[in-house]
Amino acid sequence: MRNRLGLLLLATMLGGCASTPVQPWERGRLAAWEMQWDPDPLKTALKEHTHFSKEGSSGRVGAAGGGCGCN
Amino acid sequence: MGCPCALEIEGVPEGAAAEAARAARAEVARLDRKYSHYRDDSRLAQLQRAAAQAFVEVDDETANLLDFAAMLHAQSEGLFDVTAGALTRIWDGQQGRLPGADEIAQARGLIGWDKVVWERPRLRLPFPGMRLDLGGMVKEYAADRAAAICRALGIWHGVVDLGGDLAVIGAHADGSAWRVGIKDPGETSRAIAQIEIASGGLATSGDYERALVVDGRRYSHILDPRSGWPITSFASVSVLAPSCLVAGAAATLAMLLGCAPGAEYLRELGLPYLTVGQDGGVQRDGSS
Amino acid sequence: MRHKLASLLAAAAALSAPVSPATAAGDGDTRVSYRYNDYDEDALGDAPLDGSAERFHIRTQQLNVAHTLNDQDELRLGLTSELMSGASPWFLFPDEDGQPLQIMSGATIRESRQQVDVGWERDQGGGNGFGVSAGYSDEDDYRAIYFGGERRQALSEALTLGFGASYSSDSIHPSDAPAFNRVLEEHKNTASLFVSLAQVLDRSRVVQAGLQVTQSNGFLSDPYKRFYGGGNFFNDSRPERRTQAALLLRYRHALTQADAALHADYRYAQDSWGVHSHTFELAWYQSLGADWKLVPGVRWYTQDAARFHAFFTDDDPGEHYSSDYRLGDYGALSASLDLRKRFGRVEVVAAITRYHSSSDYALGGAAGDDPGLVSFTQASLGIDLRFD
Repeated sequence: MRNRLGLLLLATMLGGCASTPVQPWERGRLAAWEMQWDPDPLKTALKEHTHFSKEGSSGRVGAAGGGCGCN
Repeated sequence: MGCPCALEIEGVPEGAAAEAARAARAEVARLDRKYSHYRDDSRLAQLQRAAAQAFVEVDDETANLLDFAAMLHAQSEGLFDVTAGALTRIWDGQQGRLPGADEIAQARGLIGWDKVVWERPRLRLPFPGMRLDLGGMVKEYAADRAAAICRALGIWHGVVDLGGDLAVIGAHADGSAWRVGIKDPGETSRAIAQIEIASGGLATSGDYERALVVDGRRYSHILDPRSGWPITSFASVSVLAPSCLVAGAAATLAMLLGCAPGAEYLRELGLPYLTVGQDGGVQRDGSS
Repeated sequence: MRHKLASLLAAAAALSAPVSPATAAGDGDTRVSYRYNDYDEDALGDAPLDGSAERFHIRTQQLNVAHTLNDQDELRLGLTSELMSGASPWFLFPDEDGQPLQIMSGATIRESRQQVDVGWERDQGGGNGFGVSAGYSDEDDYRAIYFGGERRQALSEALTLGFGASYSSDSIHPSDAPAFNRVLEEHKNTASLFVSLAQVLDRSRVVQAGLQVTQSNGFLSDPYKRFYGGGNFFNDSRPERRTQAALLLRYRHALTQADAALHADYRYAQDSWGVHSHTFELAWYQSLGADWKLVPGVRWYTQDAARFHAFFTDDDPGEHYSSDYRLGDYGALSASLDLRKRFGRVEVVAAITRYHSSSDYALGGAAGDDPGLVSFTQASLGIDLRFD
């Protein structure tokens, strides 16, 4: 019985896959703190909350948070 | 590890395979978190900061890795140097121009394993900012560890693949070897050769990146820390060894030594290998 | 000749010691973050016709605890506590030239808000994962309960899809309702959906595009604001439904040689009330040595008014009307600076932001100068800790 539990298969395995500009072993830099979409979640939360209360628009990449009676 | 990682397991029920996969992945994640070059909360980052101020006692695992790095440094007469980060950085991202002589001299002042005081288990770095880049070695070591964990959990047929570094858990259930394609460095979507591996590890060191081209000359990203300049070498070297760690060390050293000395080194070692030259020429020696 | 191999194997032997699965157990690491923030609005430039010139002062404390259970799961608990005091704009009144004068709420509002939120995130490996979250916010006159979920899925080695939804149910019971003829108790609910695509361009650059759609239903007016129209005073009256769509673009670029990273974000938002806005944000993450990080940032926000927004009207205002500056034409510029210093397992952060709004910053120009536009200074001090 053959159970495949591959997560993402690489071109070095049987067959090949679509070529990518980024070699797998080069991705480490993208994991650095300063490369995150949101390096400081508490700061972002406060910023979004402030702008939500003081401006007419809101919106983010992600589920919208809760509301508040800010005025 | 910063790479897509895959695990192939056969011959056991789904549940056991899932458990082994989780344990293997946890181990890889543990090592990534411990030795990551890019996370400033990793153990390695903490170690670098502390060792710049005073002698620091490191744990056994780190000590073994440092011993290995020291041995490779000696065996390659200084070519293999885990402290060469500052030099790599100035060659990284150059566009159409070469770094200046003073830039290189300054970077070389910031590197050098010979400047590090390593008296197991105590480590002392000569100044703050010296980086220990154990990345390549740790990836190969992680593959070996993941495979060993699978074996410890009763998996006898399978292979761990971490971004091209493989550690075999065991041959296929029918006894046949795993067949692996080596990426063509010039055209990474296809394989340039096939290798069969039934046990141990396979590692590939490659100059896959687009090289820096200045005035028609090609400068690879494989650097000689002793001069601060790139070396002319193979496009890729793949080595089969009893462990992925050893395979990786051999492949890296061959890459660093460059074409003729590298081929000589591989022949001396006696391990099966495959090299792809800059011209696309494939040389192989060994069983497969 | 073979001694080279022998020494390689010997050095590697120490690292090939037999492994027990137990040593590969998952993590038990915990991260704790605390922030103390002080938000202070500038006093009104011109003294208001009536009421205090002082505006809001808010002190916020945030505490966040994240615990990694194993190689896949992380749990998070967040607590927020806010203390607000000050006056806020009540309505605008025309002077003899027809220019708007601000009337502020009389008594200084003193209020506190508490919020708790929880979340669970699972990393399934290979770029796949999901998360669920829920929260509760409570203050004297407002209560909200909300929950949401999101998922990310790797479509290929370089492309990741994200999507999710959230829902919030809020109830409003304004203070001093009978005295000021305010509504007694109202409700509103908000549902939102988002979808995003993130692409790894190369080893230093990533880009993401997202779309978020939100709809609110219920009582959406501001119970504390009034409107002066045709010689009469009315309570702020907004439609009972609001649909908003926002398009977001984010870009991150690692500049290894400079030991820095550039962040660029853009958002375009448009809603069914006629409000549309552009937001541009740039931030520069600069590492200084091993322990220091400096992050300067700028932001420009520009907004076009809601259809029913006006400072005041001469005639009967119609069905919907609001003089709330937050629904008017205006723009805002802000600049911020964060400084972080690491001490081993602990990182200390200090930040300051200066935000200034004006009709001069509005992209499409503004109908007039709303004296109620807000400017503020915010200072934060915090700490991030990690325990294994």
